[in-house]
Amino acid sequence: MAIKSKRYQEARLEASSNLELYWWVFMRISGVVLVFLIIGHMWMNAILMDLNKIDYDYVVQRLSQTTWKIYDWLILALALLHGGNGLRYVLDDWVRDPAKRFWAKVVSYSLLAFIFVLGSFSLFNHDFGVR
Amino acid sequence: MYRGREGQWAFYLHRISGLGILVFLVLHVSNIASAMWGPEVSNALMKFYHQPVFQVGLLVLIAGVLYHGFNGLRIILMDFTSWGVRHQRALWYGVWVLFLVFYLPFVIRIGGGILGGGHGD
Repeated sequence: MAIKSKRYQEARLEASSNLELYWWVFMRISGVVLVFLIIGHMWMNAILMDLNKIDYDYVVQRLSQTTWKIYDWLILALALLHGGNGLRYVLDDWVRDPAKRFWAKVVSYSLLAFIFVLGSFSLFNHDFGVR
Repeated sequence: MYRGREGQWAFYLHRISGLGILVFLVLHVSNIASAMWGPEVSNALMKFYHQPVFQVGLLVLIAGVLYHGFNGLRIILMDFTSWGVRHQRALWYGVWVLFLVFYLPFVIRIGGGILGGGHGD
């Protein structure tokens, strides 16, 4: 079961398993990292860059640079784990029927895994070190 | 657990925005991944997403991201400090102050783009 506590000490007591506690801690750590990574990402591409000018050339040029490969891949991996685990909390809370919950999880985890592979491919598909 | 209406709102907004961001992430990665199929496919899809309706959607998404992020920091303060839970309501209003400060530049930039035209090419 997902942890409901609002304090670390309580969360430790409430955790049904060590794994559940690790997820609880992971949500906090990845959350802090993601706040900075994603605000930076949005600022670069929506404020500094004109959104309407984003096209194939811009994407390929940007994804060819090692720094942005690492930056974007960190967002991809952390956001999918953070979002996937968040979705698990929501499904555990809101889908009552065990069979439906099971299949909802199978479908959503598969989709997220597919997006992780697709996103990783697009990051590493373009040449390294261009400009 | 949550005494007062603000805490309940904070919780539901956190869930809804989280789900919304996850849906966007799936669409966004699919869109960017289209670059692997070359400029024709990629540019056609980008042009499609440059329509004003998606830019309005983007403004909603950015609002969701900023709220979810700052409220997440509030949750962490409640978890790991001795005073966080006591001041959760004040912290929530602090979330909205931070939200406004960061959201305004995006509203001006993207909103200006929507009103000013020039999209879709």
